[in-house]
Amino acid sequence: MSFLETVWNIFQNNWDLFLRGAWIALILAILGTIFGAIIGFFIGVMHTIPLQKKSFKTYALKTINFILTCYVELFRGTPMMVQAMVVFYGLYAIDIQLNRFVAGLIVISLNTGAYMAEYVRGGIVSIDKGQYEASEAIGMNHFQTMFYIILPQVARNILPATGNQLVMNIKDSSVLSVISVVELFFTTNSVAGSTYRYAEAFLIACVLYFIMTFTVTRILLWFEKKMDGPDSYRVELVTGNKPIKDGE
Amino acid sequence: MTVVIDIKHLNKTFGNHEVLKDVNFQVRKGEVVTLIGASGSGKSTLLRCINLLETPTGGEIIFNGENILTEGYNKEKYRTHLGMVFQQFNLFNNLDVLGNCIVGQVKVLKRSKEEAINNAMKYLTIVGMDRYKNARPRQLSGGQKQRVAIARALAMDPDVMLFDEPTSALDPEMVGEVLKVMRDLAKAGNTMLIVTHEMEFAKEVSDRVVFMDKGVIVEEGPPEQVLVNPIHERTKEFLRRTLNK
Ligand SMILES: Nc1ncnc2c1ncn2[C@@H]1O[C@H](COP(=O)(O)OP(=O)(O)OP(=O)(O)O)[C@@H](O)[C@H]1O
Ligand SMILES: [Mg+2]
Repeated sequence: MSFLETVWNIFQNNWDLFLRGAWIALILAILGTIFGAIIGFFIGVMHTIPLQKKSFKTYALKTINFILTCYVELFRGTPMMVQAMVVFYGLYAIDIQLNRFVAGLIVISLNTGAYMAEYVRGGIVSIDKGQYEASEAIGMNHFQTMFYIILPQVARNILPATGNQLVMNIKDSSVLSVISVVELFFTTNSVAGSTYRYAEAFLIACVLYFIMTFTVTRILLWFEKKMDGPDSYRVELVTGNKPIKDGE
Repeated sequence: MTVVIDIKHLNKTFGNHEVLKDVNFQVRKGEVVTLIGASGSGKSTLLRCINLLETPTGGEIIFNGENILTEGYNKEKYRTHLGMVFQQFNLFNNLDVLGNCIVGQVKVLKRSKEEAINNAMKYLTIVGMDRYKNARPRQLSGGQKQRVAIARALAMDPDVMLFDEPTSALDPEMVGEVLKVMRDLAKAGNTMLIVTHEMEFAKEVSDRVVFMDKGVIVEEGPPEQVLVNPIHERTKEFLRRTLNK
């Protein structure tokens, strides 16, 4: 049997394991990116609340922001594999037994959140000051300005970085195998172990990872285009009902 | 006529730089007041203090009889009574033309979407931008953007419109279309406070012209006085320099 025939054979005999692993990896990556984005937006907004003069609220906010900064630095400065071990076994030690998938999801979300927080903060400060002022000038408060004007633009601007994070998460979910999350690396490893065909099994994993990342990248590019809307707009004729086309 | 904005002994310092020094003046209902003066004289700062984009360091701003600088005054509500037009347009880039003109009405004034759209279309028609309601800011020329910005401010039905050099960032061929809109608004009886370098325009639309120099109001009066026969030497000097350009 040739090498590729063996590969095909292994896949045929274990396709359910491979696909389940891939599915878990994909779900972990997608949910992790979504929760991470929520965390990132939350921190980004907290970090850009304008501080009034000395008041209880200011001190409370400063304390919260200090804690959030510690979190961001810690998670950006340590490997996710180690974070997974610390979270899972750390909680285990204090008698909290998390489902391994849930533990993995928490780790990947917190990790993503730490990166996203920086993207969001950068995105917020890069929106020109004029739009904040115009928004305040029509009577919006800080949160209205954020939600209706600034954050939609930030979301668009950081979409490429978020997509990148999603692709990273698909790949990096493999490190969660250290806490025995049954994702693609973990299932591949067990197939490889039971068949003694490491090269073949991991080649299959390789192909599956690539299909996932490549597809996700294309979908995101399409989504970005869609978000930008059409390049041209319609100028409505005031009298007639035939709109005429007027491009940029 | 009723005084809408009454400014008393207004001061503003940035660090140790005193930008506004004991500024006193009033804007009455239906009046068009233009604010002129050399670059750096504090015109923008004065306008920005009025709608609290800058916090004054001293004095009082009385709006419809209430001191807006008292602690706990509802800043957001106050701002809905003032329409602000910026030099750089500052349209919301995530929204189309119509969206720019309804977001404040719906989110701040809590108007129904339908009412907001009707009102927005009314003002977009006045500024001649109704046909572009679905365009995005990036698809518009500077003059078009500024007209949308004016409609956005008007759509809140403010008591006073504030303009900070609305034509300074425009190419010369677009200045006319914006000034025309402002002229129409002035004729329609809107209360307007305008910072401008367009002397001809100021002469034509103003009920009163205020000349500022180095953070103080040097002279104010009807345009025939301030712009044609000024009393103060500093005003004369400013006009000489501006008109000779
Ligand atoms: N945020 C700020 N911090 C420090 N100084 C400031 C600030 N804003 C304005 N200034 C200073 O205040 C002075 C008045 O500025 P302002 O923008 O009000 O002038 P202006 O009359 O509007 O000028 P222009 O015609 O160029 O727009 C200037 O000397 C400026 O440097
Ligand atoms: Mg200015």
